[in-house]
Amino acid sequence: MSILQNVKDLVRSRSIHVSYVDVGSCNGCDIEVLACLAPRYDIEQYGIYVHNNPREADVLLVVGAFTPGWEEKLKGLWNKIPEPKAAIAIGNCPISGCVFDRRGSYVDPPVAKHIPIAAEVPGCPPRPTEILQAILSIRDSVFAEWEVKRK
Amino acid sequence: MAVSLFWYMVEFARFEWIKKFLFAKTAPLITPAHFRGFPEPTGKACQHALFCMMVCPAPGAIEVLHEGDGWKPKIHKGHCIRCGLCVEACPNGVLRSGRVLETMWDQGTSLLFSFRIAIDPDLCMGCGNCCTACPVNKLADAQMGAGGHSATDEVIMRVQGGDILVLHEEKCTGCKTCEQSCPNDAIRIARILEGIQQPIQKPSPEAGP
Repeated sequence: MSILQNVKDLVRSRSIHVSYVDVGSCNGCDIEVLACLAPRYDIEQYGIYVHNNPREADVLLVVGAFTPGWEEKLKGLWNKIPEPKAAIAIGNCPISGCVFDRRGSYVDPPVAKHIPIAAEVPGCPPRPTEILQAILSIRDSVFAEWEVKRK
Repeated sequence: MAVSLFWYMVEFARFEWIKKFLFAKTAPLITPAHFRGFPEPTGKACQHALFCMMVCPAPGAIEVLHEGDGWKPKIHKGHCIRCGLCVEACPNGVLRSGRVLETMWDQGTSLLFSFRIAIDPDLCMGCGNCCTACPVNKLADAQMGAGGHSATDEVIMRVQGGDILVLHEEKCTGCKTCEQSCPNDAIRIARILEGIQQPIQKPSPEAGP
């Protein structure tokens, strides 16, 4: 592995840009993502920065059970994120639909049917520490040696 | 342009900046022990009361599965919302989560399940399917056959004179097997959950443990 690759891995592990998308949640998980930004958990001390622009993002945080309005949109949003990229399902809703996945409801979980999900954070809502751990745990498997793995 | 780019690069070449970028001290990601996590087994034997499944508000979050000789509750992550109700509802203390159990012992609170059997006399045709399907009846009177007649008074319900007669409502375990076997939807089981609190008896200093 070249020195350049080492430098790239080092910089990428300290600089992850996160974008989050709410595909129909109750706002509980949104608040927990928000709590990651607040001083107690302070997501930026880990080198994770939040953008709301998928074109600048490395990691997409998906929040919420999948509502029909996102049918065409989420795929396009995922395609806009430049490689290397990963999506993390935050909370029960994108994993199973949780309490919304009942007879007669219009949600279409899991989100993994629509875009590839790299990690799942169960919980209703998950704690900020768990969200942070999930982002930190996928950074090596997704971003390290990405140019080498692509070949 | 070239000048501003130069100063931009100089900023990133500063020692303090590189040190902060690579060696920033981060707080340990620790969840306090009193936070409610996903319910964990305490090691006590599950008695298959199924109160955890009855009280659970999230669909498909908890199942009681047969394992080895006994039963074991299984929590499905991604469905469980960590409300801790299964921990409270379990009469045998099989699960624990955070300090839910400790708070219950401290404050003398518990969740009490009771079951009511409601039979619509207009719909019931006295076929006795519910009496033969009932697993508690099967234990009380193994001789009970089709028709639901029984010689013993120990059964929950039996067919008497072409009509259903409920004898021991308090023995019902709320499994709703009778509801599924009824061809007319005449029988309905109500699961009633009450939160109760008993006065705490402070142990006197003389009394030993």
